[in-house]
Amino acid sequence: MNRRDLIRGAAVAIPGSVALSMLSAKWAFAEGVDDFDGPVDVLNYALTLEYLEAEFYRQGNEAGLAEGRAADYLSTIQTDEEAHVMALQDTIAQLGGTAVPAPQVDFGQAFGSLESYLETAYTFENLGVQAYLGAAPALFQQKELLSAAASIFGVEARHAAIIANLQEKAAEGGVYQGAVETPADRSTVLQAASPFIVAARTY
Amino acid sequence: MTQPQQFVRPQPFGGRPVIQFRDDHSRRRFLQTALVVGAGSSLVAAAAAMRGDPRAVADATANDLDILNYALTLEHLEAEFYTQGLDSGVLGGRDLELVEPIRDHEQAHVEAVTQTITDLGGEPVDKPSFMFPDGTFDDKDMFLTNASAFEELGVTAYHGQVPRIDDADILAAAAAIAGVESRHAAIVADLLGENPFPSPFEKTMTMEQVLEQASTFIEQ
Repeated sequence: MNRRDLIRGAAVAIPGSVALSMLSAKWAFAEGVDDFDGPVDVLNYALTLEYLEAEFYRQGNEAGLAEGRAADYLSTIQTDEEAHVMALQDTIAQLGGTAVPAPQVDFGQAFGSLESYLETAYTFENLGVQAYLGAAPALFQQKELLSAAASIFGVEARHAAIIANLQEKAAEGGVYQGAVETPADRSTVLQAASPFIVAARTY
Repeated sequence: MTQPQQFVRPQPFGGRPVIQFRDDHSRRRFLQTALVVGAGSSLVAAAAAMRGDPRAVADATANDLDILNYALTLEHLEAEFYTQGLDSGVLGGRDLELVEPIRDHEQAHVEAVTQTITDLGGEPVDKPSFMFPDGTFDDKDMFLTNASAFEELGVTAYHGQVPRIDDADILAAAAAIAGVESRHAAIVADLLGENPFPSPFEKTMTMEQVLEQASTFIEQ
């Protein structure tokens, strides 16, 4: 399947702000495990973030801002994110669930320079790490899903570190975020992602 | 979902002994724990797979203290490795800036895991004595090549235990550490000019497989 079709397939678009408030409604007062309504919901949450990341790198790499080692890394990261999208879609289907469609996205001026591309990537990757860690308790009873999600989480951490290193950020507080990763809850993650979501499709 | 693949990396230090436990009791304890838990998990996993029930794996595993002591031994090994490596002074500049925090993290992991075991009423394993072969820290490439092997081993060891941890809080703590080990693995690979992203999914190794590598470093 063409990546563009996967991300932007035809569907009814609704304004992003509306979509986000709809998405947020059911967990606005919840925390931790209660953030999620079963494993498919967790996986769809992860899928939404992976759609964002995959499309982000597709557009960013298409812009041709990086070269050499940075370009190689960004290319690999893109294919990693695409692999995560497909794995999550497959898993949701295997569970008898319905995968959420990709949101419509707008990365604004992110691709205006290599610096802003990398800085936005840095934000996304660390957000992804925090999101997976925050969602882990909700998959605790599903050991196979938990392992699979953890295996994605670790790779997002690799991405985050390498992006920061490409930016020559400080080691501690840049490349590394301390001796342990920090989780983020669903509403925090979606709030951070919301500037990039123009519209989410409903089904 | 795509299953994390299992793999076996080349042994660090050419399989020469680098871990020396304080006494026979400690050494036997480590080996026994790893062997019993490793063998048990394989059998349980096989049985569960035959029944098509992945959740059964969690219900019948050795307890979390064994897993934590296993993690603690590996963290001791990493902390000591980086401490000695940095003391050797072969790194400078950006390399040094990136590796110093790794040592600090491993030491923090040792403390955190020790504290967790104590809090749970368990007995943390003693810190083994380590003897790294001559030449291990002679130059940057030797140091970082061995570091890379350790980091990838650490990542796969943690990921191998994810489905076996019985307590959700311990899982959260272990995952929070595992993510940092992934960052280390990527950065060390990058410093060596190797691929920091070997796979879209972290791989796993069972305790048994990790032990196969670690036990060759334990003086018999």
